[in-house]
Amino acid sequence: MLGLPEVQVINKMVLANLLHRPVRTSVGILAVAIEVAMVLLVVGMTTGMVQETAKRVEGVGAEIMVQPPGASFLMALTAAPMPVKIMEKLAELPRVYAVAPVLFSFNASGSGGMNLIYGIDMESFSRVSRGFVYHEGGPFRQAYDVIVDDWYAKAHKVKINQTINLLGHNFRVVGIVEHGKGSRVFIPLATAQDLFGSKDRASIFYVRCTDPSFTQLVKDQIRTLLPRYEVRPIKEYLSLMTSNNLPALHSFIAVMISLAVSIGFMVIFLSMYTTITERTREIGILKSLGASKKYIMGVILRETTFVCLLGIAAGVIGTIFAERAIVEFFPTISVLLTVKWGIWSSLLALGGGLLGGIYPAFRAANADPIEALAYE
Amino acid sequence: MEPIIKAENLTKTYRLSKIDVPALRGVGFQIQRGEFVAIVGPSGCGKSTLLHILGGITTPTSGLVCVDGNNFSEMSDSDRTRFRRHKIGFVFQRFNLLPTLTAHGNIAIAQHISGDGFNPHRFDKIVETLNIKDKLQQKPFTLSGGQQQRVAIARALICDPKIVLADEPTGNLDSENAQMVLDMMQELNREFEQTLVVITHNPEVAARAERVIQIRDGHLVED
Repeated sequence: MLGLPEVQVINKMVLANLLHRPVRTSVGILAVAIEVAMVLLVVGMTTGMVQETAKRVEGVGAEIMVQPPGASFLMALTAAPMPVKIMEKLAELPRVYAVAPVLFSFNASGSGGMNLIYGIDMESFSRVSRGFVYHEGGPFRQAYDVIVDDWYAKAHKVKINQTINLLGHNFRVVGIVEHGKGSRVFIPLATAQDLFGSKDRASIFYVRCTDPSFTQLVKDQIRTLLPRYEVRPIKEYLSLMTSNNLPALHSFIAVMISLAVSIGFMVIFLSMYTTITERTREIGILKSLGASKKYIMGVILRETTFVCLLGIAAGVIGTIFAERAIVEFFPTISVLLTVKWGIWSSLLALGGGLLGGIYPAFRAANADPIEALAYE
Repeated sequence: MEPIIKAENLTKTYRLSKIDVPALRGVGFQIQRGEFVAIVGPSGCGKSTLLHILGGITTPTSGLVCVDGNNFSEMSDSDRTRFRRHKIGFVFQRFNLLPTLTAHGNIAIAQHISGDGFNPHRFDKIVETLNIKDKLQQKPFTLSGGQQQRVAIARALICDPKIVLADEPTGNLDSENAQMVLDMMQELNREFEQTLVVITHNPEVAARAERVIQIRDGHLVED
C-alpha cells in the first residue's frame, strides 16, 4: 500500500511524463473528450428528441388517443384509414368533453424542413387543447394557411405572411404559436385530407375527458365501441416513448457508443504504446532501481487514468457548450443531458482507456531490463 | 567472515541469430563487505554482463552467484527485483537519469520504489556530500555530465544499499569531473561502508580500488 508521499512522487512523475509530450497527451485527452461528448450527445439528442415529442403529445391536452387497428404508437408510421365520422360517436360517449381528429403527414421536402405536420380541425383541436397561445398572427383563414410554433419559426427564420413550401405546396404562415401542442406545423384538416386523397379520414383522435380521473372509464367505453382500434391513455403512450422502445434507435445508440469507445480505446492504446516504446530506456532505469512489474504497470496505467480523467472533464464541459450551441442554432433539436449518462459515459471512457493502456503497460512491465537499458 | 558477493564458475551465453555467443566462461571470486573492487578488462570481455548478474538484472547460464547470503539462482525474478530494490545501487556510464524528473525527483524516486519512505536526513546528507544541493530543482538536461553523475550516485546511495555496482562511472566525464566523482565514490565507500564494485577499463579508476579483478574473453585472468 502506498503512502501519501509515495503517491505524490508517482503523480509528479506521471504528470512530468505527460507534460514531456504535450501534443501526444493533448491528442489522447481530445480523443477521450470526443468519446465522452459523442456518447452524451448521441444519447442526449435521441432521448431528448423522443421525450420532447412525447411531451408535445402530452401538451395536446387529451387523456386518450384512438388509432386505427394495429397502429404503431409511432405516429409518423400511422396511415389514415379511420373515418372522421367516428368522432361523432366518440363525442357522444359519457364523460367525453371533446374529440379532435388529426391527420398526420410527414413532410420531407421543400423549404419547410423535415417534420410531422398535423392536419387539424381548428375548432375541435382548440376544445381539446384549450386553444393555441398565439405569439403572432391568428387561426387559419384559407385552405393553404399554416400555423407554426415558435421553435419552428426561430429555426427556419419564419415570419408572419411568409410563404413556405410544405408537401410540395406553398403555404402562407398565418400564426406563430407557443410550442408544445402536438406538432410544430399545423395545416387545416380538410387541406391535409385533400392533399393525401384521404377525404373524411383521420390518423388519430385525441379524446379529452370531462375530468382526467375518468380516463380508464372512457377508455373502456371506447374499447367497447371500437373493439379493434388502438385505444391508449396518453400516460401509457408517454411510458412507451423511450429510446428502448423505438425500433432501431436502441441499436443506433449502441452502435454509436461502441464506435465512440473504440475510438477512445484505439487512441489511448496507440498513445501509450508509442509512449512505452519511446520510454523503453526509462523503464529499464526503473527496473534497475528495483521497480516491480506492478509498479511499472501502475505508472503506465496511472498516466492512462490521468489522460482519461482530463478527457472526461473536457468532454463533459465540451458537451455542455455543444448542447447550448445546438439549442441556440437548432432550436427544434432537443438535447437531454442526464447525470446518469454523464456517469456512464465517464465510466465507458475510463474503462475503454484503461483497456487501451493495459497491453502497453503489460509490455513495459515485462521488458528485459538489459535490453531496455541498452535502448537508444 | 562470510563474503557479501560469492561467484562460482559463472557462465553466460547469449544467443544471437542462432549463434551462441559466450560472454562469461567460468568466472569465480569473492568480495568482502565494504571492499572497493574494480573489475577491469577490454571492451566486450564480459564486464558489464558480470555486473548485471551480480545486480540480479539477468541470470547466469550456469554457475552460482550468492549476494548477501541470497542465492540468485534459487530466487524468482520478482524476488531478485525486491532484493535489488533494497540491497543494490546502480551507477551507469550514461547516468541513466529520468529526463522528465528534476534531480530531486530522480533521487526521491529510488526511495519511493524501495517503499521505505522519504528520509530527509539521509537525503540532505547525501546531496550535501555530493555537493548537488543547489541543483536539485534542475532537470538532467540542464546539468553537466559530472553533475548528472553525482545525481546518479546520490540515487544509487539514497536507499542505503549494501552494494553499489558502477558500470564505467567516469566513462562519459572529462578528467576533472572523473577525478571529482571518483573522490566522492571513495569517500562515500568509506563513510557509508558500502561495498563498491566498479567496472572500468580505465587504469586510473582501477588504481583507486583496494582490489582489482581482471577479466579477458570471459575468463578471470587476475585477482
